[in-house]
Amino acid sequence: MRRRWAAALLLGVPTVFLLALFVVPLLSMVVLSFWRTENYHIVQEWNVGNYVTLATGGAYVTFLIRSLVMAGVVSLVSILIAWPVSYAIILYGGRYRLLLTLAFAVPFLTGEVLRVIALQGLLGPLGLINAVLMALGSAPLRFIMYTNVASAIGLVYLYLPIVVTVIYLSLLNFDARLIDAAKIFGASPLRAFVEVTWPLNLFGTLIGFALCFIPCLSATLAPRFLGGPNGTLYGMAMAQQFGESGTWALGAAMGVVLFLTSIVAVLLVGMRVNLRRTGFTGLGRG
Amino acid sequence: MHATLKKRLGKYALLATLVVSYLFLYLPILHIGLGSFAKNHTFPYPPRWTLDTFGRLFGNSLYQTAFFNSLLLGIGAAALATLLAAAATLGLMRHAGQRAGLYLTLFIAPLFVAEVLVGIASLIFNGLVLELQGNLVSAILANAVHGFSYALLIIATQLYRYDWRLDDAAMVFGASPSRTFFEVTLPLIWPGLLGAFIVTFIMAFNNLEISFYLLGATPTLPSVAWGALRYGVKPELYALATAVNLVVVLGLGLMFVLMLTGRASFGHRPERERAV
Repeated sequence: MRRRWAAALLLGVPTVFLLALFVVPLLSMVVLSFWRTENYHIVQEWNVGNYVTLATGGAYVTFLIRSLVMAGVVSLVSILIAWPVSYAIILYGGRYRLLLTLAFAVPFLTGEVLRVIALQGLLGPLGLINAVLMALGSAPLRFIMYTNVASAIGLVYLYLPIVVTVIYLSLLNFDARLIDAAKIFGASPLRAFVEVTWPLNLFGTLIGFALCFIPCLSATLAPRFLGGPNGTLYGMAMAQQFGESGTWALGAAMGVVLFLTSIVAVLLVGMRVNLRRTGFTGLGRG
Repeated sequence: MHATLKKRLGKYALLATLVVSYLFLYLPILHIGLGSFAKNHTFPYPPRWTLDTFGRLFGNSLYQTAFFNSLLLGIGAAALATLLAAAATLGLMRHAGQRAGLYLTLFIAPLFVAEVLVGIASLIFNGLVLELQGNLVSAILANAVHGFSYALLIIATQLYRYDWRLDDAAMVFGASPSRTFFEVTLPLIWPGLLGAFIVTFIMAFNNLEISFYLLGATPTLPSVAWGALRYGVKPELYALATAVNLVVVLGLGLMFVLMLTGRASFGHRPERERAV
C-alpha cells in the first residue's frame, strides 16, 4: 500500500507538472493556430487561414527551406567536428578527460545572448578576424559579416558543445575491447571503425544530431544578430509575430509547423536505426 | 615502421582537431574578455588596461535589478527542476515497471522541443487561458520544464549504478522508507543532485528564449543584454559576458576539484576508466 503511494507521488507529481506546463501549453498553441488575430486582438473563429498564408506566402516557404538547409548543414558539420574531438578526448585525455569535456560545456552554459555577443566580437565588421586582417593590410572578409555563412558559423559555435558531450558520453560507454577483438581477427583500423565503432555509437550520434538540429531549426538569435538581410530564418520570423507585428495566431501556426517539422525530421532519421544494434543499452533499470 | 608513422599521423590529426575546436570555442570569449578590461575594447592588442567598464556595469542600477531577477529565476527553476527530476528518476527506476518507457518519453520530451517553442506555448497558455500578464513565476515554471529533462539525465547517470540492495538492507534492519532515504540513499546520490542543480541553475540564469516571452517588463540579465545588443554592442556587454563566463568557469572548476579530491563523483564512474 505504502509502495503504491510512493509510486503515485514520485511519478505522479512530475507527470502532472509536465502535463500542465508543457503538454497543455503546446496544445493551446495548436488551438490558437486555428484562430485568427485582428488588430492585435485574438478572434476565436475556427479557420485554417494561418496555414494557407504560410503555405502560399512565398517568403514563409523560403524561410522554412532556408531553415531546414541551415539546420541540416550545421548539424552535419557539428557531428563531423564532434567525432574526432570526442575520440581524441577519449583516447588521449587520460585523467583529464572530464576536465576536457567540461571545458566544452562552459560555453554552452553561458547563455545564447552572451555567446552571440562573443561571436560578434569575432565575426563582426570590427571583430577579431577582420581587425587582424586589416592590421595586416589586407581587405576584410565580406562573407563573414552579416551573411548566412556567419549565421551558420554562429550556430555551429552555439551547438557544437552539446554534440561533443553526447558523442563523448556514447564513446565513454562503448566497450573498446570490441575494437581490439576486431583487430585481432584481422580487421584494418578503418574496417574496425566502419563495422564496429561507428554502428555501435550511431544511437549516440543521432541523439547528438537531434539535439543540434531541433534548436537550429528554430534559431532566433543567431540569424537576427549575425545573418544579414537575406538571413531571415523561420524561428526568427515566428518570434517577430509575437513581438513587433502582434499576429499571435500566425505565430502559433508557425510554431506548430516548426514542431511538426522537427518531429518528422527526427523520426525520419530515427526510423533507419535498429536500436538493438546501435549501442542502445536500455533504460538502465536494474 | 610504416604502420607506426601512419598511427602517429592519425594521432596528430585528432589532437590538431581538438586544439582547433578549443581555439574556435574560446577565441571569441578570450577576445571579449580582454576587450572588457581594455580602453581600446574593439581591438585590445596590446590592451590598455582599465576597470572602468566593470565599474559602470556594477554601478548601473538596471543591471543590478536584472542580476537579482536572474538569480531568483535561476534558483527557483533549478530547485524545482532538481526536486522533480530526482523524484521522477527514483520513480522510474523503482516503481514504473512496465510503463517506464511511456514515462521516460514524457520526461525527456522537453529536450526535443526547441526552447523558443516552450516559451511561446507558455505565453499563449498564460495569455489566453489563464489571462496572466508576464511575470517572474511563469518564467520560473517554464524554465523548470526545460531544466527538468537535463536534471533527469544528470541524476539518472548517477543513479544508474546505484545499488538498491542498500535500501533493502536498511529496511530489513527496521528503517522506515523515509529514514532509509535520508540516511542511505540521499548521502550516496547528492553529488548527482548538486550537479543537476548547478547545471539547471546556470541554464535558467542565462536563458533568454524561454524567459523572454514570459517575463513581461521584468528585466533579467539576458533580456537587458538582448535589448542593448539591438542598439549595437557596448563595452558593458563585453564586461557582462566576461563576468558570467568567469562565474560559470568557477562553478565547473569547483565541481572538478570536488571530483579530483574524490569528495563527489557527479555521475562519473572511475571503475569504467578503461572504456576505450
